[in-house]
Amino acid sequence: MNLGRIQRGVVGLGALGIATIVVLNWMVFFWVPTESFQGVIQRIFYIHVPAWWITFLAFGIVALCGAVYLWLGDERADMAAVAAAEGGMVYCTIGLLTGPLWARVAWGAWWTWEPRLTLALLLWFIYLGYFLVRRSTANPEQGKRLVGIIGILDIPLIHVSVSWLRSLHPEAVVMRPDGPNLDSSMLWTLMVGLLAYTFIFFALFLARYAVERLERELMLRDATPAHGVNVS
Amino acid sequence: MNDLKPHVRAVLAVGLALFVLDVSPLVLIGQEAGALGRQTLGRPYWHVFAAYAVAWVLVFGWVISMARRLRRVEERLGKE
Repeated sequence: MNLGRIQRGVVGLGALGIATIVVLNWMVFFWVPTESFQGVIQRIFYIHVPAWWITFLAFGIVALCGAVYLWLGDERADMAAVAAAEGGMVYCTIGLLTGPLWARVAWGAWWTWEPRLTLALLLWFIYLGYFLVRRSTANPEQGKRLVGIIGILDIPLIHVSVSWLRSLHPEAVVMRPDGPNLDSSMLWTLMVGLLAYTFIFFALFLARYAVERLERELMLRDATPAHGVNVS
Repeated sequence: MNDLKPHVRAVLAVGLALFVLDVSPLVLIGQEAGALGRQTLGRPYWHVFAAYAVAWVLVFGWVISMARRLRRVEERLGKE
């Protein structure tokens, strides 16, 4: 993919993301009814759940691209993995910060060391380790990409932890075997939220991929002794 | 990629407008009547405010970090 197409992708997805964010804000603050039990605080749901959805999507891309890189040695897969990992860290941090803000009102505590929360924090540390290991030497070896692939194993555990283990965190309300257990207006708002943040994520992911590509091209030119000089 | 910088600025401007809209107390006026609908102050309100503010600050932090990296690359390319 050339840089011109990436730029068009960034602008197109960014415009779609901003348009859907405007619609989402209207839905969250003007359209969707206030939840009868929790009140206003439940509106954090429409940013908390999309943040985790993007986190899982981004770290899924990291694992997939890491595996492709280990298999084929394609540099583009590694650049995509770095871009997705950085986005995943941003959204994982959003999920980890918005959760306690909701929990303090709903549960009366900022944080409890219950399974889902602990596994989510572990995921954040795994990918923090991914960046630390990558930057620890100038020449990242293949083994370092394994961190990203290992990290993906934590995601299914996070999802099933509330149903398999005793947990304070509520069970899934959308991805249930018997269908979503949510008012239709809340479900629509959530779906628009997922769409909006997915557009924003992919726009920024493409932009980060382009920056990573330019940086590597510069590094490659620096490493070539007679760059810019036509030696024939 | 030189053309990307105005786009980054445009995204930042629109994002800032959305951020102000998101965190403005006025947005809760639109909620329907009723005890919970009229709830516009107190801890729940400020926690919703903080949650949306944190999300936008982090996303824009990422955008700004990318813009700075891009500027460094462009400066290097401009020197050569």
